[in-house]
Amino acid sequence: MSGGAMARLDDDKRSEPSHPGALAIKSLNKRYRMDGRILQVLQDIDLNILPGEFVSIVGRSGCGKSTLLRLIVGLEADYDGDILLDDQPIRSTSLDRGIVFQDHSLLPWMTVEQNIGFALLTLDLPESEKKRRVAEHIDLVNLSGFAKAYPRELSGGMAQRAAIARALVNEPKILLLDEPLGALDALTRIHLQRELQRIRTQNRSTMIMVTHDVEEAVYLGDRVVVMDANPGRIGRVVTVPLPHPRDRGSRAFQHIRDEILADLTGAHDTD
Amino acid sequence: MLTLSRFRGFVLPIALIMLWSALSHRDAAHSFIFVPLENVVASAREMFLNGELSRNWTASLIRTSSGFAIGSGIGIAVGSIMAISRFADRLINPLYQAVRQVPLMGFIPLISLWFGNGESSKLFIVSLAAFYPMVLNTYEGLINTEKKYLSVASVFKLGRWRTLRYVTLPSALPSIFTGLMQATAFAWLSSVGSEFFFNPGPGLGNMMLNAQAAFRMDAVLLSVIAIGVTGFGMNFLVQRASRVFLRWRSTR
Repeated sequence: MSGGAMARLDDDKRSEPSHPGALAIKSLNKRYRMDGRILQVLQDIDLNILPGEFVSIVGRSGCGKSTLLRLIVGLEADYDGDILLDDQPIRSTSLDRGIVFQDHSLLPWMTVEQNIGFALLTLDLPESEKKRRVAEHIDLVNLSGFAKAYPRELSGGMAQRAAIARALVNEPKILLLDEPLGALDALTRIHLQRELQRIRTQNRSTMIMVTHDVEEAVYLGDRVVVMDANPGRIGRVVTVPLPHPRDRGSRAFQHIRDEILADLTGAHDTD
Repeated sequence: MLTLSRFRGFVLPIALIMLWSALSHRDAAHSFIFVPLENVVASAREMFLNGELSRNWTASLIRTSSGFAIGSGIGIAVGSIMAISRFADRLINPLYQAVRQVPLMGFIPLISLWFGNGESSKLFIVSLAAFYPMVLNTYEGLINTEKKYLSVASVFKLGRWRTLRYVTLPSALPSIFTGLMQATAFAWLSSVGSEFFFNPGPGLGNMMLNAQAAFRMDAVLLSVIAIGVTGFGMNFLVQRASRVFLRWRSTR
């Protein structure tokens, strides 16, 4: 199974010049030490993501997919192997990489516009330019009219939109989405999936999304990375060759979805 | 119905006043212990007109405000330093926890030795009363900032001081206001209380002592009412301020 994944990955290792937003992960290993025992969270992860690509990562809980995102965003610096963004190794956080967490993590004492402006605090831009960018991104996520609202006044879906705007406002090369729609109800989720697709066409940054929802992964991803657990590793990588907007009811869509689901539920597990 | 329910808080006080009034008019003995309210009103009038009430009230209030400002100011500073620096935490926290166990009144012999028996000793007691809750609540508020907010600060490369200014401090604000609320109450109580232990000087506590010595129960009761109403008013002000500063929290 992992042989197949490797073959597909090699396809992507075309010797292109480094575009902004190209992510290369090479023999990545992550271990935690707990009470003297060593816990292998991620094992030999190899993955190349092209600039502008949307990659979904699915897997059972405990497969280390969220840890992988934390490593890419730079919240944890202790790992073996290489994570390179445009050939630069990642050792800490950077404004090149934005992230949306599962619980929106908006600061409750700031309004929507202050929360989005928060991402621009350390940027050396004139105030007028910051204001313009904040307003532009409030429009991008359809939150016009809620600029002065506090997070407690927003619904879950609206808060998550604000979090997406905050992650995009400093124009990162790569946007990481850690189960961003996981806490929302089904209807809001489908709506926001469409919104994400629209935002993606407007904003060509590379995106990596971790999710539990296979349909969501197939709906949005150019490729879907299926991870196995204990230790966390890449099971296979599925390319989704369907054009956008994708029809969830189409035969091709359902075929890809069912194949990944069968993989995850162990219908043809080789372990 | 709605307008009526707003006055629910007055039902109990009014009932008590009526009970008090009934008791005071039973016989001479009762009217000494339970001063007739008309006497209290009369003495309030008298002491207001001759400036006695406002002189003592102002003295207590000024002592409370200055002690509150000094104590809570230093308290916020010490609490912040303990929260920011592990070294300061290790150095100060044990001492703070130990000293806090000694009742304020237990320090009176020492304080009178250091600062004499006058106003400065009273001010010191008030400052100390405001200091304790401020240290604790500032410290707790600052160290309990949620990890996810600190992650966000790290993702946006905020750095130490900006993180403190935009994340840690605002997240500690509810706790700091709890501290301010306690500090106000303790400062007022200890301000009036300290007058019982040091040399007489202007103040509501002293006014009460004098009234007691002169067997003027009406003036004693007047002092009690003035102390209660003022404390209530100060608490109300701090609560109002906290509602303005913490309006980002849930509406109630």
